[in-house]
Amino acid sequence: MIARLRADRRTLPIVLAIAAVFGVLAMRDPTIAQAGTYAGIYAIAAIGLSILLGNVNQISIGQAGFFGIGAYAVAYLTTTLNWPFWPAALVGMALATVAGIAVGFIALRFRGHYLAMATLAFGLIVVGVIHQSDALGGANGIQNIAFPTVGPLTLSGANAYWFVWIVVALIAAATLAVLGGAAGRAFEAIRNDELAAEVSGIPTRRYKIAAFAYAGALAGLAGAVYASFLGLVIPEAVGIALSIDFLLMVVLGGSGGVSGAIIGAGLIGALDIAGHQFENWREVVYGALVIAIVIVAPGGIFGFWRNRFRPKASLVRSAAPAARQIEGARAEAPLAVRGLTKRFGGLVAVDAVDFTLERGTITALIGPNGAGKTTLFNAICGVGRVSAGTVTIAGVDVTNRRPHAIAALGVGRTFQNARLFGDMTVLENVVAGAFRTGREANDRARATLAALGLEPIALTYARDLAFGQRRRVEIARAIAADPWLLLVDEPAAGLNASERAQLHDDLLALRDRGMTLLLIEHDMKLVMSLSERVMVLEFGKRIADGTPADVRRDPAVIAAYLGIPD
Amino acid sequence: MLQLLVAGLTVGSGYALVALGIHIILRATRIVNFAQGEFVVVGGLFALSFVQMFHASSWIALAGATGAGFVLGLAFERFILRPAARHGEIALTIATIGTVFVLLYGHALVPGWGSLPQPLPAFTGDVSDAFQTHGVSIPYQSVWVLVLLALALGALYLFFDRTYYGKAIRAAANNPLGARLVGIDVTGTRAISVGIAIAVAAFGGTIIGPITLVGGAGGIAISIKGFVGAVVGGLESPVGCVAGGLLVGVVEKLLQGAFSYGVSDPIVYSLLLLGLVVRPQGLFGKTSAVRD
Repeated sequence: MIARLRADRRTLPIVLAIAAVFGVLAMRDPTIAQAGTYAGIYAIAAIGLSILLGNVNQISIGQAGFFGIGAYAVAYLTTTLNWPFWPAALVGMALATVAGIAVGFIALRFRGHYLAMATLAFGLIVVGVIHQSDALGGANGIQNIAFPTVGPLTLSGANAYWFVWIVVALIAAATLAVLGGAAGRAFEAIRNDELAAEVSGIPTRRYKIAAFAYAGALAGLAGAVYASFLGLVIPEAVGIALSIDFLLMVVLGGSGGVSGAIIGAGLIGALDIAGHQFENWREVVYGALVIAIVIVAPGGIFGFWRNRFRPKASLVRSAAPAARQIEGARAEAPLAVRGLTKRFGGLVAVDAVDFTLERGTITALIGPNGAGKTTLFNAICGVGRVSAGTVTIAGVDVTNRRPHAIAALGVGRTFQNARLFGDMTVLENVVAGAFRTGREANDRARATLAALGLEPIALTYARDLAFGQRRRVEIARAIAADPWLLLVDEPAAGLNASERAQLHDDLLALRDRGMTLLLIEHDMKLVMSLSERVMVLEFGKRIADGTPADVRRDPAVIAAYLGIPD
Repeated sequence: MLQLLVAGLTVGSGYALVALGIHIILRATRIVNFAQGEFVVVGGLFALSFVQMFHASSWIALAGATGAGFVLGLAFERFILRPAARHGEIALTIATIGTVFVLLYGHALVPGWGSLPQPLPAFTGDVSDAFQTHGVSIPYQSVWVLVLLALALGALYLFFDRTYYGKAIRAAANNPLGARLVGIDVTGTRAISVGIAIAVAAFGGTIIGPITLVGGAGGIAISIKGFVGAVVGGLESPVGCVAGGLLVGVVEKLLQGAFSYGVSDPIVYSLLLLGLVVRPQGLFGKTSAVRD
C-alpha cells in the first residue's frame, strides 16, 4: 500500500506540471482551454471513482447521477433563485454527498454485479426524475447559467482552466493526505479481505460509506463546475454514457489513488477534441477501449509505472519498542458465554453452550469436524447473528455487536485458512491489526514483529509468504493491539514439527504476558501440553470440560472420537 | 385493466427471456451480463435484416436471428468474457459494461440498422390485427409471443434437464473443478451456455420486435428490467426469473396506465433498489444475493 502511495506522490507533481504547461497553451488556444477545462472537471469526479474502485474495491456505474445532482443544483439555484455560484455549488456537493451515503448503505449489502446494477439504477433514477420535473426544465434542461466569479475575475476561457486545475490539485493533495493516514490503511485492508479487516478492529461499514460519500461529493462538485462552465445542462449530459466515460477514465488511467484518475481524465479530455465530431464512433471506440484495458492491462497506464515501486526500509530501521504486559485492571472474566445457540435453518450448529474463561489461561476447544467449533468462534467475534444466548467480554455484553466493536474491546482472532491481506506487506498487515490503537499502531506493530522475530520479513508482501510464515503473521496481526482474549483457529494445521514447537512457545509466551487464549486444535499433543483446560464439542453441544487428563479418560469423549455408541 | 395485463405480459415475455439469459450466464460465469438487453436489440435487428435483405418470412427470420445470436454469443464469450475472467469479477463486470457501449452505439453505425427504432413485420397478418374477447382486444402477435415463449421455455427445460449435454452444462456451472475431474469440458460448456443465453436474447428481441419495434437505445432499460425480474423471482431459479420478468412487464404497463409513460421507469428502478434491500433472495429464491 505504501509503495502504491509513494508512486502516486511521485507521479502527481509530474501530472500537474503537464496540466500547467497546457494551461499556458490554453491562454492562446481556446480549443485547449475548453478541452482542458472539461478534462479537469472529469478528473475531479474520476478521483472519487478511482478511490471507490481501486482502493475500496467497490464498483459504481452511477457516478453521473451524483454529477447530475451537483449540476442541477447549481443550474436551478443560480437561475431560478438567483443564488451566486459558490453557495449553490456547496449545496450541490452536500446533496450529492447525502446521495452517496444512501448508495453506500446499499453497498453494505451488495457487492460486485449487484452493486453495479444498483448504482446503474440510481443513475437512471436521477435522469428519470429530472426528465419528469418541470422545475428542472424536463427534457429541455436549464439554460443561461452564469459563469462563476472570483472578485473581478470571470471564470471562463483560460481562467476556467486554471481554476478547475487548481481545484484538481487541491483535491488530489488532500486525497493523498487522507490515503496516507488511517483511512488509507482501512481502505486497503477492506479491499484485500473485508471480514479479516472487520475482526482486526476496522469499522469497515463506516469506511465504505465514507468512500461512497467522498466519491459522491467529488462527482457533485464536478457537476456544479460543469453546469456553470457550459452555461446549460440537459438530462442526457448526466446520463449513463457519462457514468461509463468516468469508468473508462479510471480504468484507462489506472484505478486507485489520484494520478491514474487524472491521467485517464486528461487523455479522454484530449481524445474528445476529435471524438465529439464522430458521433457513435466515439462511444464504440471508448467501449472497446474499456474491454481491451481490463483484459490486456488491468492496472491501466499508471499501473505500468506504479509496480516499479517497492516497499521502503526506513520504517523498520530504528529499534522497535518492547512488547508490553497486558494490563489486568478488570476483575471480570475475559469471556463468559451463556446459552449460546446458532442455527442455520434446521441445523443447530451450536447448541446452548455455557462456559467462562479465566484470565491468563489457555483453553482448548476440541471436537470432531463439524462439531461447531468455528461457528462458536464466529458467534463470539460477532460474525453473523447468534440465534440465542449471550456473549460477555470482560463484563460487557457484546451479543450481536459488530466484529470491529468486539475487537475494540480486546479480542483478537485468527482464521483456519489464514486470511492475510495479500497485497500488503507483513508490517502493514500487523499495523492493520493494531488499527484501533490509532497513532500507536505503528509502534505496536513493530513491537509485535520484534517479539515474534518476524522483522526480517517485515517488508515482504503477504501473498509471497510460505505457509508457516502466514500463520505466524496472522497471529502477529491478531495480537498487535494487545487483546485480552485471543481466539486461535487451528494454528498448527499444515505446520511441520519445528514450526509446531515454535507455535507452542509463541502461545505460551502470550499467556505469560497475561493474555487469555481459546484454541481450536486437532493436534492432541499440542493441546495436551499447552492447555490448562480442554472443552469438547460434539454436534454443537459441550460434552466434556476439564483438565487434559480428565478429558482424555472421559468415556463420552472417547466415544465421540472413536464413534463407539454410548 | 385487463388490456394492460395483456400488454404487460407481452413486453414481460421479453423481460422474462432477458432474465433467463442473465440467469444462464450467471450460472456459467458467476457474473451478471449487463449487455443482455443490448443483445435483445441486436437480435431484433438481425431479424430485420433477414426480412429486408432476403425477404425471409418471420419464421425464417426468427430462426436466423436466434442462430446468429448463438454465434454472436460464442464470440462474446471467447473474445470478451473468457479473457476478462482471468482478472476477477469486477474486471468481468466492467467488460460487459464496455460491451454495452460497443453494441449500443455500434448498431447505429451498421447500414440499414441506424439509431432509430424500426418496425418488424408481425408473424401473421398485420401488427394491429387482434381478436375481441370479454371486452379485451388481444393482438395476434401477443398470442404468438406467449406461445413462442412457452415453446422456448419447454425446449430449454428439455435441453438442460433431459439431455446429456444439458446436464453436463449444469454440472460444470455447479462445480467447475468437480466437472473437470469427471471429464467435462468446462471451457466448452461455458461457451455453449453463453451462446444459448445470447440466442435466447435474440429470440426474445425478434418475437416482441413487431410490438416494441427493433433497434434504438432501449437496451440498457431492457437489461435492468430483466435483471429486476431475475432479482424479484430469484436469480438462482429459472422459473422464478421467467415469472419475475412477466411480473415486471405487467407492473410497468400498469404504472404507465396509471401515470405517464416516463414515470414508470424510475419507479421500476426504485422498486429494484427497494427489493434488493428488503428481500435480497427474491420472491421465490432461497439463496441470498448478499454474500458473506
